[in-house]
Amino acid sequence: MKKMKRLIVMLMVVTMLGASLSGCSKKEDTATSGNSETGGLDTSKEVELVMYVISNEPAGQATVDENFNKILKEKLNCSLKINWIGWAEYANKYPLLFSSGESFDMAYCANWLNFSSLAKKGAFMNLDELWPKYAPDNYAKHSDTAKQQAVVDGSYYCVPTLLATYSAYGPIYRTDILEGTNWDGEMNTFEDMEEYLDLVAATGNGMEPLEIYSAGSELDDMWMYYNGQYAIKGSTNDFLFIDPAEENPKLYTYYEYDKVGEFLDIMNRWNEKGFFGKSALADTDSEKLRNGKAALRVHNVDTYQGYTIEHPEYKLKYSNLVKDVSNLSFTQDAMVISNTAKNPERALAFWNLLTTDQEVYDAFNYGILGESYEVNEEGQFKILDTDKYATTAMWAVRTTDLNRDQEGTPQEINAYKEEWDAYIQDGVGAQKYRSFVIDTSSIETEYASCLSVHQQYWWPLELGYTDKEKGLTEYKEKMEAAGIDKVRQVIQEQLDAYIADLSK
Amino acid sequence: MMKYFSSFVHEFKKNRPLFIMIAPMVILIFVLSYIPMSGLVLAFKNYRFDQGVFGSAWNGFENFRYLFSSGTGWLITKNTILYNVLNLITSQALAILIAIAITEMKGKYFKKISQSVIFLPYFISWVIVGTFVYNLFNYETGLLNSILESLGHESVNFYSMPGVWPIIICLFNSWKWCGYNSVIYIAAITGIDGECYEAAEIDGANIFQRIKFITLPSIKPTIITMLLLQVGRILRGDFEMFYQIVGNNGQLYNATDVIDTYVFRSLMQNSNLGMTAAATFYQSILCFIIIIVVNQVVKKIDKDLALF
Repeated sequence: MKKMKRLIVMLMVVTMLGASLSGCSKKEDTATSGNSETGGLDTSKEVELVMYVISNEPAGQATVDENFNKILKEKLNCSLKINWIGWAEYANKYPLLFSSGESFDMAYCANWLNFSSLAKKGAFMNLDELWPKYAPDNYAKHSDTAKQQAVVDGSYYCVPTLLATYSAYGPIYRTDILEGTNWDGEMNTFEDMEEYLDLVAATGNGMEPLEIYSAGSELDDMWMYYNGQYAIKGSTNDFLFIDPAEENPKLYTYYEYDKVGEFLDIMNRWNEKGFFGKSALADTDSEKLRNGKAALRVHNVDTYQGYTIEHPEYKLKYSNLVKDVSNLSFTQDAMVISNTAKNPERALAFWNLLTTDQEVYDAFNYGILGESYEVNEEGQFKILDTDKYATTAMWAVRTTDLNRDQEGTPQEINAYKEEWDAYIQDGVGAQKYRSFVIDTSSIETEYASCLSVHQQYWWPLELGYTDKEKGLTEYKEKMEAAGIDKVRQVIQEQLDAYIADLSK
Repeated sequence: MMKYFSSFVHEFKKNRPLFIMIAPMVILIFVLSYIPMSGLVLAFKNYRFDQGVFGSAWNGFENFRYLFSSGTGWLITKNTILYNVLNLITSQALAILIAIAITEMKGKYFKKISQSVIFLPYFISWVIVGTFVYNLFNYETGLLNSILESLGHESVNFYSMPGVWPIIICLFNSWKWCGYNSVIYIAAITGIDGECYEAAEIDGANIFQRIKFITLPSIKPTIITMLLLQVGRILRGDFEMFYQIVGNNGQLYNATDVIDTYVFRSLMQNSNLGMTAAATFYQSILCFIIIIVVNQVVKKIDKDLALF
């Protein structure tokens, strides 16, 4: 027994010694110099900021980091360490990041990573005071719409991106394969799309006319946007919509929409004509258009840009079919400060620098000039070796006035963007509802069930795999059993409160 | 109390080497299996990141509700159990057949090569198997449909026929596991005394009689132990297998959804750790009940064959 006691005492002494020693070593760090001041922030102490991003680490990342940290040391007396969560594991690992208790400063977050639900559960640091104080220039750059989108339960929990993106959506299609036919080249309606797909099918070059794969069809979203409707979640694969033209819009779901029959007829016809595979939902190839195996895909303008740069020989064209274009949520790329952050002030100062200083921005985003990228006369960038390093995976950093176009960007893109910018007005049409974020915390059970039913019954139905009448009735029954009425009621209340708040 | 303690000390002194040998395992199991069990409280909590596992507020059985709302709970529980029973029977029966066939083979090289070939699928990941399945069964370019077409038959859209999928899944499961499982049976058969076979042969028993009256009875304890071990996992669907083979084909879900895939699908979008913990808790409790019952039944029949 005595021996035991002695052992415990010994152990305790050792741990305490260890703790005090490590304390000493930390103190020594503070001795290093550094005197630049940002927003009243004391940067005399050198710190290492830790950031988590989601992507696979590129081979050339180490040299880019080394170069970047040199600049950072000089400007802010700190260094940055980026930790990577690979695509294969992000779904499981990302939420655990915040429950593991690991200490890190910054992380990439986004709507599609459940930003608001994580914020509600206390994963992030409240930025009400920190953001304006330590990142004042960044704060000033944001529009009111963007700032409003960073709010959860009345407080800021993220710094949204400064890059405007648009809800424009539509067919990206190859024109090289129809050269020499009497195709009229029009692509403004679903009928035009069908005409194009018919012609592609008739050429019989073994290409699939329409790209659809296991993540579900996007034509249902397209149909709703095409008819001027707005998905309340603000992104694709939603099951609740409103008509933004109404004064006090009421939420509805697919089977309550009067044009759903027309849509299902179209899809049934396209399925019969063989525009896409009968087992498309089992097909995991998501790059059929890109690899020359499909002729048309419905997606956004960024995808169009990427494909055109990679394959100019396809002579790709793009057409936006969204009637009521608005800015996509600015929290679709965002930076969050973890609630375990050791240096939140420095992290925000770092972010401020990054989003206002072209030199720092270039070094962070594109890497080393002459080694990983080049800039041509028009200020467009070109990545020299995409296998080694492309651009940063911290997409939230992208800032409209600092961002460079990639060499080979199709010219009409900027014209499109100007057109959309001119169309969008704060508080009008769909843009009015962009800052509305649904809160599912009181209906998590029902919401989860609805999502699951939606995928199980709607996805096959919208591709014409199941019988139109029977499928729709079954979808309706299952949605009702899953609790769609309660979900709708709760979100409607939130929406009404949001509208009332706006008109104040 | 004191008496037990002193007898324990006595035992310890007597068998010190044995205690030392078992200590690492006991510690490992305690650290890896018993301590994490305290995390099960999550199933009854409204988890918040800033309050941690033990600081978050209790919310009763709220987390369990989603499993059973809209009636899916029973369907997926039923599917999970039926799939596991089916897979258990087919893969073990095949493994036994393979083990017997391989041990009866005479040619040394033929024996080694066929064993390796049967073992090989164990190393192929489900992601790749998923691609195999798609390339075999899809409507336009699938191998099966190409064969049907070349024989002048109509193509069959397997992805709209939920009924055939239990068979497909069962086939692939057996294909992947039977080689691995057979190794254990081969080891058991090798352990049988060769004299028994010689004696039987002299008495005029043919090969089937030898298998029936010598091999099978000798490996019966191994079979039952393997079955019991598998029964302990009967409510755990092999997530990878179902997810990769079935994918996003909603039409097949009623026939192929197991607890693990359902939970994954519905909670992907809102990262609720409490609800996920509730699903695991539900699986564990049911597994526990089933293993206890089955073990008791085995005990009734033959006391020596039960696990505990």
